[in-house]
Amino acid sequence: MMTKKKVFVDTSLCTGCKACSVACKAWNDLEAEKTQLITSYQSQASTTYNTWTYISMHEKYENGKMEWLMFKHQCYHCAEPSCLKACPVQAIYKTESGYTLIDHEKCIGCGYCVANCPWSVPKTNPELKKTFKCTGCIDRVENGIKPACVYTCQPGALHFGEPAEIEALAQTRLAEVKKDHPKAQLYGDNAMGGTTYLYLLLEDPEFYGLPVNPTVSSSLVVWKDWVQPYGIWLIPLAAAAAVGSFFTTRIINNANKSKGGDLHA
Amino acid sequence: MSPSFGRGAMTNSWQDMMNSECFLIAGSNCAENHPIAMKWVNRAKAKGAKIIVVDPRFTRTAAKADIFAQIRPGTDIAYLGAMINYYIQNKLYDETYVLNLTNALLKVSKDFKFEDGLFSGFNSEKKKYDYASWAYQLDENNKPVKADSLDDPDCVFQLLKKHFSRYTFDVAEKITGIPADKIKLIADTFAAAKPGNIFYALGMTQHTTGVQGIRCYAIIQLLLGNVGKAGGGIQALRGEPNVQGSTDMANLNANLPGYLPYPTNAQVTLHDFAVKNGSVQHKPMVALLKAWFGKNATPENDYGYGWLPKNNPDNMPVQSQFFNWMEKGQFKMLFNWGSNSTVSIPDRKMVARGLSKLEMLVVADIFNTETAQFWREPGIDTKSIKTEVIFLPAAFVYEKAGTMTNSSRLVQWKERALEPLNGCLPDLDMIDLIFKKMRELYAGSTDPKDEPILKANWDYDHDGEASALKVLQELNGYDDNTGQLTASLADYLNAPIGTVSTGCWIYAGVTPPGKNLADRRDNADPTGLGLNKEYAFAWPGNIRVLYNRASCDANGQPIDEKRKLIWWDAAAGTWTGNDGPDVVDKKKGPDTPEGKQAFRMNPEGVGRLFTASYTSGVSSSPVPADSIAAVPVRGAGMTVDGPMPEFYEPIESPTNNLLHPKVQNNPCAKIVSTEFGDPKDYPYVLTTYGVCEHFCAGAITRNIPFLNEVMPEPFAEISKNLGKKLGIKDGDRVEISSIRGKLTVHALVTDRIQTLKINGKDTETIGMPWSWGFASLNPGPSTNNVTMNACDPGAGTPEYKCCLVNARRA
Repeated sequence: MMTKKKVFVDTSLCTGCKACSVACKAWNDLEAEKTQLITSYQSQASTTYNTWTYISMHEKYENGKMEWLMFKHQCYHCAEPSCLKACPVQAIYKTESGYTLIDHEKCIGCGYCVANCPWSVPKTNPELKKTFKCTGCIDRVENGIKPACVYTCQPGALHFGEPAEIEALAQTRLAEVKKDHPKAQLYGDNAMGGTTYLYLLLEDPEFYGLPVNPTVSSSLVVWKDWVQPYGIWLIPLAAAAAVGSFFTTRIINNANKSKGGDLHA
Repeated sequence: MSPSFGRGAMTNSWQDMMNSECFLIAGSNCAENHPIAMKWVNRAKAKGAKIIVVDPRFTRTAAKADIFAQIRPGTDIAYLGAMINYYIQNKLYDETYVLNLTNALLKVSKDFKFEDGLFSGFNSEKKKYDYASWAYQLDENNKPVKADSLDDPDCVFQLLKKHFSRYTFDVAEKITGIPADKIKLIADTFAAAKPGNIFYALGMTQHTTGVQGIRCYAIIQLLLGNVGKAGGGIQALRGEPNVQGSTDMANLNANLPGYLPYPTNAQVTLHDFAVKNGSVQHKPMVALLKAWFGKNATPENDYGYGWLPKNNPDNMPVQSQFFNWMEKGQFKMLFNWGSNSTVSIPDRKMVARGLSKLEMLVVADIFNTETAQFWREPGIDTKSIKTEVIFLPAAFVYEKAGTMTNSSRLVQWKERALEPLNGCLPDLDMIDLIFKKMRELYAGSTDPKDEPILKANWDYDHDGEASALKVLQELNGYDDNTGQLTASLADYLNAPIGTVSTGCWIYAGVTPPGKNLADRRDNADPTGLGLNKEYAFAWPGNIRVLYNRASCDANGQPIDEKRKLIWWDAAAGTWTGNDGPDVVDKKKGPDTPEGKQAFRMNPEGVGRLFTASYTSGVSSSPVPADSIAAVPVRGAGMTVDGPMPEFYEPIESPTNNLLHPKVQNNPCAKIVSTEFGDPKDYPYVLTTYGVCEHFCAGAITRNIPFLNEVMPEPFAEISKNLGKKLGIKDGDRVEISSIRGKLTVHALVTDRIQTLKINGKDTETIGMPWSWGFASLNPGPSTNNVTMNACDPGAGTPEYKCCLVNARRA
């Protein structure tokens, strides 16, 4: 049996080289996308169905001191994922290793998971009508190899291992970087039942554009925990909602396009 | 580094970086361009090491620094000189080290002078120095006279003290733009945390004062006693995985493999060569000739020395000068292997003009590079070009066996992982086929000029293709007496002259009989010092930390208990240790003159704070005696533009030289470009560089979609002040122009570049990567449209890092 795993993302060591993003694409056979520089040296604006992990760059100049911070985005693989809760066709499931995966046989590309992820990680391929996101390299992990991003990281910003060992490392690193970065904190451990990807941040989550307290939306709780279990008759309606959601997603995407972030099409 | 320490190579290794207590990373953006370095730097940092980064912009390396200083491009010598001055004035140097392991006490000729920006001996017509006045005072045995104390006015230490006394923190601030208190903080931090490590790369070399900047590093590290120690030294981070290998194999025009001096036309016989260069160069030259001409190299024919073409020292262009010479008709044909000059040469319009005048251009590459299709560049008049271009499709790195020698002199063997596609060939096979065909065409010729081709030893066949292992074995060399491969560097050194061959003497011992040490992959590190002695093979003789004799005290015992490299084992009567001892003779103890030498490749045996001209000893070993001139032992490596570093402004500079207005630039610089901009028209300083996502001229990486995705286009980084002044917002298009050309790119308006105060005046820096060209999957404008071609007089490296430009919103 596969034990639970965790990944520690030590942003204090990340150099923003983006090798993780490239390694992810190479291993998972994802297509390169046409991009342009957005800000700083960043060319990828968000996850897409072909970009499962990317680095965002954040510049800050205060009192004559420059900070250039990096943040690696990918699926957090939450213990209690809202995407799983939101999925109307039970295509999303948890593995013993703690990963959150999408069963593409079942997925109908409705976009419910997209709308309900606090970090907007999953993305739907409109042609295939399937939703894609980071798999945590489950195919590697179950064969005893580290995830592609972790394996390729040269500066040692990514660590993969047993939860206890990873949490201890995170605490040690937090204590070390606190000396120079008083706002440093761990991120993810208290969110969504605890995330598989645990972060060390050097600034508040807002600085990186992250939700401070990622939660499952209350409407989703009402819907999934109360209405759905007791109202089997609602399923046809759920399917209708799914179709509606698909169009909503398209509208959001088109809105993004007009802002110049043409990364979803 | 060669004139300072005796070898032109990085002193320590990548893994060794984890042993450092402090890093001065200046002229290197290793987080972006040598990502593997950060693995080891981060390990040192986790143990408390401090990181200092000095750079014209806040880079991804700077983002990891404890101290960052933004410097005006091309002014490093000013703040480094201030550090040297501060260390000397405040006695922060390691006195024991300076007294025993450097030339601080040696007395210099009273004729030596430095006045108004020029050292004694300058010939203004030739733009060269005569080294005579840079010599030591010598005793009757040709040994340098040693002063009794560091206070002797003639000794190197006092000359150094006087020379750098002009470099105060305030002067350095006015020149560099780094606040004086920050320079002091850098100096104090670096002196306090030992061992301190210095990294540089092209940020330091691509200046008309590149060699002298690195000389500053050498002086600082010798003063602080940081050379020859684990975690110390100077790391020249090489730009390609095999750049060290290519320089080992003589890619510089004044070298033969193994850093032998290339014979000049004044050295007609082998004896002339030995007289000029010393007996230490005589033996490896004979061994090289034996490797190249095999049985045809005999004592009677000077081992075929006459077959080597000779250089004319007054007529030796470096690569960036080639194209002007081509344009003038000096070259008829060019073999272009793995170089994309059309993108990479500064002031690049001269490349197409030069290539257009060739009769034939042969390009071997894995992609159809800009150079291979130079005539297709928009705006070029193809009708006037008659150059015949032949493209040889080359196998990729994983499609061929062979070695790569990395920055830390580590020779690593690799097997072929994939078969080359569609008839692509490894470079070695191409050269093998071309040479054999050429020899066939020359067969039967009695013309003396064809002899080198007919007499060459050429035997690399194995199973129907050329074998890289056979080449490596030729480099290792053979012993005539046994007919076997030479077993070790010591065996080569101990063999009588003329009885061994080696294609590159520093590689001796890499393939002893039946083994290939470059192919070893044992990662064991029992000492935890990252020596990894059983992993591949480091030249010379598998030594991982060069000059490691300096890590021991006068009794030959390790000074640093935590970082023991080597020691003298008195009971066994030998030097031994965790690393290979870098000593003259393992059997000569610390009480012998040889056993005291930490810098055995220098004729004085010590590190050189002042690069005096000096040739040691008179050899007792037999040399062909067709003339009576005595053969000395070893000549010193020289710095052609001065025995001590001096600050000169870049060739294009926004200000005047504060130290000596009459001598603005390096007086010896090789000027190639013909147009130079005035700061009134071109007020901003441009610096150019690579980014993590693309490699050099981009020939490979611009054809990899993943890398184009993560860095899609070239850009210009400008300060927010400049953006405001010019009305340029982040993401706008900006046109950058110099007197030589222009290009339009994406503007990054950022706090990572700040306006500097230079000599009382606001000065703006603009930063641009240079890896794009008109071809590939992802073409983009070339930054080398605007850069300037002027070279360091010693290394021949062009000043890519600073030129003057203007900018406007496009």
